[in-house]
Amino acid sequence: MSVYDKYETVIGLEVHVQLSSLTKAFCADRTTFGAPPNSQTSVISLAHPGTLPRLNKKQVAHAVRLGLALGSEINPKSYFDRKNYFYADLPKGYQITQDNLPICVGGVLPFSVGERAVNIRIHHIHMEEDAGKSIHDLSDHATMIDLNRAGVPLLEVVTEPDFRSPEEVDIFMNTMRQLVRYLEISDGNMEQGSMRCDCNVSVRLKGETTYGERCEIKNMNSMRYARRAIAYESKRQIDLLEAGHSITQQTLNFDPQTGITTPLRNKENAHDYRYFPDPDLAPVVIDKASIDHLRQTLAVLPWEVTTRLRDEFKLPAKDANLLAEEKEIALYFIDLATLANDPKACANLIINKVRPYLQQEKISIEKFPLSQKQLVAFIKLIQTGKLSSSIAYQRIFPALIESPEQTPLAVAERLNLIQSDDEDFLTKIVDEVLAQHPKEVAAYQKGKKNLIGFFMGEVMKKSRGKAAPKTCNALLRKKLA
Amino acid sequence: MKVDKPLISKLENLAKLALSDEEKTQLLTDMNDILSMVEKLDHLDTEAVAPLIHMSDQPQVLRKDEIKHELSKEEALKNATAKVDPFFTVPKVIDLD
Repeated sequence: MSVYDKYETVIGLEVHVQLSSLTKAFCADRTTFGAPPNSQTSVISLAHPGTLPRLNKKQVAHAVRLGLALGSEINPKSYFDRKNYFYADLPKGYQITQDNLPICVGGVLPFSVGERAVNIRIHHIHMEEDAGKSIHDLSDHATMIDLNRAGVPLLEVVTEPDFRSPEEVDIFMNTMRQLVRYLEISDGNMEQGSMRCDCNVSVRLKGETTYGERCEIKNMNSMRYARRAIAYESKRQIDLLEAGHSITQQTLNFDPQTGITTPLRNKENAHDYRYFPDPDLAPVVIDKASIDHLRQTLAVLPWEVTTRLRDEFKLPAKDANLLAEEKEIALYFIDLATLANDPKACANLIINKVRPYLQQEKISIEKFPLSQKQLVAFIKLIQTGKLSSSIAYQRIFPALIESPEQTPLAVAERLNLIQSDDEDFLTKIVDEVLAQHPKEVAAYQKGKKNLIGFFMGEVMKKSRGKAAPKTCNALLRKKLA
Repeated sequence: MKVDKPLISKLENLAKLALSDEEKTQLLTDMNDILSMVEKLDHLDTEAVAPLIHMSDQPQVLRKDEIKHELSKEEALKNATAKVDPFFTVPKVIDLD
């Protein structure tokens, strides 16, 4: 047993979710990603003297939606606080956030790691605003400031220290991404920074009930890096403890190039943010009617969909997870499977043909050129034996996409690919195949029965896939007997 | 609570101010006066009194999510003391924190 096996890693997350809204949290300038620098500002986001913040209705609604989805308590009255620090991309000198009385408290995010169910408890969710962007590498003697992002609405989801492995963190973040996309409150795009997390990592001996001293790894916007950072950090802490040292609380930066964490600041010079209630912002009051309305109009939740796909449509877990990744695809599948009455065939078709096509063309399912009626007809051609599934998938599907105005049957007929169980046609082919392979025929008749597969293959080749396998098999056996 | 010289220095640092010795002495007196005034609250029984977080109990009026009052890049940069179009500039930040 290695020394590492004596320890367990304890992880808690602070997840930042950038909300989908047209305008910022406290002012009405745009939030479009990738706009030219400093083209989306206002006197409020630039912190000109005398300006006052006004809260975006959408931020509150989105916060409540996420809280309801996670089963949080919604605080009927919540407050904003100022978090004070000086930094060049923070024009006011403070960030507006919720420290004392956040909008949502408690809740759980459920997911599974293989067959094991994991429930991560949510400590709270609060509303806040993003800072601008500092660009350090454009000039040798100046830092460039772009304030387009200053004031963009964020939710911060703070979990309890319930994670025990980087893998759980990874799946949690994926589930969170899936959830915010289902709820349509964020695009969950990690590459564009719409979702990022700080990881609090500590280690302790297995069986220990108190937590070890923790270190915080800032700003992970890639799950691959987060996994590596946590694994590195856990090992670093165990090595320190094993060498008789203790862990000091630190804020860390992870460098993906070197794969190591380095201290940004330690406890002694930790920021003193001097939080206090923001006098510019009156309490946020949400009445029961508004909460009820948001609850009634809440989108279907990803874990509900996954369960439904498994239980009602009897899909294997792997297929159910794949189809439930995106809400639009999941709902499309449910409609199609209900119409076609063959969930397995619909799942195969969507997973193997429709999704790859959408990904390749970079389009959403609404833009998919074929109607559900056509897909049902397509599946029926396979079900009734008019097409072999390999011919249907490899030849008909692409041809159908090329001419979406035609029916699958018309396309199959045009390409002369309808499976034939016409005995005359098949008998002719079977006779030809047998005549061409006298040696194999003799061997078969001497007892090498598994040559039947070889003959079938030859017949399929000669018929260009059109031969109905069942009829051919029977014909071959009869002729060879 | 008593404000002492080290605390004044800490606050000076946090507020990014550079105070003269004279100013520091004055602040020390002023802040201790303010604190002792507020400390009168300690002599009252506030057990059943909820903390006053905001002066007004009026709920916040929320704003619709509609684009308004935007500045052009030129307007945004107009009053900046240091800029390199299209950016505001500040002295190089060495500490990436």
